[in-house]
Formats: sequence, structure tokens, C-alpha cells
Amino acid sequence: MEVAVTLPVVDPESRAWVAALAGDGADREAALERLHALLLRAARFELGRRRGQLAGMSAGERQDLAVQAADDALMGVLARLDDFRGLSRFTTWAYKFALLEAATKARRTAWRDRELPRPPEDWLAMAADDGHPEAAAEHAELLAALRAAVAEVLTPHQREVLLTVVAGRVPLDVLAERRGTTRGALYKTIHDARRKLRAHLAGAGLLAGEEVSRR
Amino acid sequence: MSLIEGLLGPEEPEVGCDECFAELDRYVELELAGADPDAQLPGLRAHLAGCLACREEHQSLRDLLSADQG
Repeated sequence: MEVAVTLPVVDPESRAWVAALAGDGADREAALERLHALLLRAARFELGRRRGQLAGMSAGERQDLAVQAADDALMGVLARLDDFRGLSRFTTWAYKFALLEAATKARRTAWRDRELPRPPEDWLAMAADDGHPEAAAEHAELLAALRAAVAEVLTPHQREVLLTVVAGRVPLDVLAERRGTTRGALYKTIHDARRKLRAHLAGAGLLAGEEVSRR
Repeated sequence: MSLIEGLLGPEEPEVGCDECFAELDRYVELELAGADPDAQLPGLRAHLAGCLACREEHQSLRDLLSADQG
């Protein structure tokens, strides 16, 4: 991803964080405590945004979830401390671990007692019912071709994952947990499925500007 | 995002979820600084368009940093 090889200029505050966390003794303990407080704040921020998703939880349960997210984020930060290159502030880098943990836990908690929906047989009918009815009417030919392409060019696994996430609106993290895999692996499946669909539709002249070679 | 957009995903080349997570902090700081993150981190914006989970976390990090900056 890097387009230029540059030595990172680590700001003094970030350098102090890394030095304290990589050290030992009282300085490290104090840094760990401050870092946990920072991560807890970020986790609470994320769970606060998702209050609607977590309506069934008490304030105490939400607090417990925030602490779990901060604990797990702290472990993540420490495990990957060597990855910090100083290309952002250390606190920004650390925040993302807490946001990821809190968001993932919130999504999974919201789906905890729910069966995953099977993609509906008439999933294409959703196109007219997802807030874009004009688009559905305008793209009737594209939709028909898309239905055929989903049935014909995708593997059963690609079809199931793509439709469960896109048409069934199941969060990637939730599907990953149920399938014993990772968000990244599932997204790769979705990415590959989308490329197949795009290439197929482009070959049929239904996607302007698309490279058929991507097939 | 419409169903068609969700099924077809972004047209542009994109990074995966792991690369997105690795660069998200840098991307957001560049955004908030008014710089051009897409020039330095190509493929990340397309991934955010195609991946709802990463998009939500990108928005959260932006908002959290903005709140910090008052």
C-alpha cells in the first residue's frame, strides 16, 4: 500500500506512549492504566452510537460490554505494538482497536439469540422495496440479468455469503462468528463474487465502462 | 446503498478488511487534516464503499477524533 518510502516522524507524545508500554516497572503500569481508560472511552463512544441495537441490554450490561471491549483492545494494542509506525498519533492508532472490538461485540450481541435468515427466494423483489423503487424500475433488465448471474456464475458458497450479507443484511462479523471464519475472509468471498457478477454483466453489455478482462 | 450496489460492490480496485484496519488511523488523520488520503492510500475509499462494517468503524473513528478536537 505504501507509495513512498519515508521514515516516520513520531510525535513526542506517541513516542512516550510506546516507550512506556515497551518498558517495565511503575511507568509501564501507569501507561497501561491510562491506555485502558482511553480505550474504555472509545468503547463507550461506540456502544453509545449503537444504543438502539442494544436496546435489550441494561446500563450495567452495556458497561460490562464496554469493559470487555477495552480489555480485548488493550490486548490487541500490546500484541501489535511493533506494528505502530508513527504514521498517525498513537492514540488514534489505539482507538481503532477499541472501536473494532466494541462494534464487533455489539453486532454479535444484537444477533446473539437470532437465527441467521436464509436469503429470501424472491430477494430481487427487495430491489423495489429498499427505498429505490425508481431505480428498480429503471434497471429492470439489469436486475433480471443479475438474478440469472447470481444463479449461474457464483459458487454455492459465494451465493450464500453474498446474499446473506447483502440481501439478508447480516453483519459480516456475525456471519464470520457463526461460520468460524474471519470478517476479512468473508469479505474476500464477497469481493470475488462481485467481480464475477460485474464481469458477467459487462460481457453482456449491461455495465458501461467495465473491463471484461476482469472476468 | 441499493441492493444492486450491494451486489455489485465498488467498481474501483479495493483493499481488504485487514489492510483497511491497518491504515484506517492514518487515513482518518489525513482526512481531518484536509489532505488527500486517497492519493496516499489507494483502494481504501473503495473498500469503505463496499464494506459496511469497515465503513461504520471509519465513521466512528472520524467522529471520535472530531469530538476530541472539540
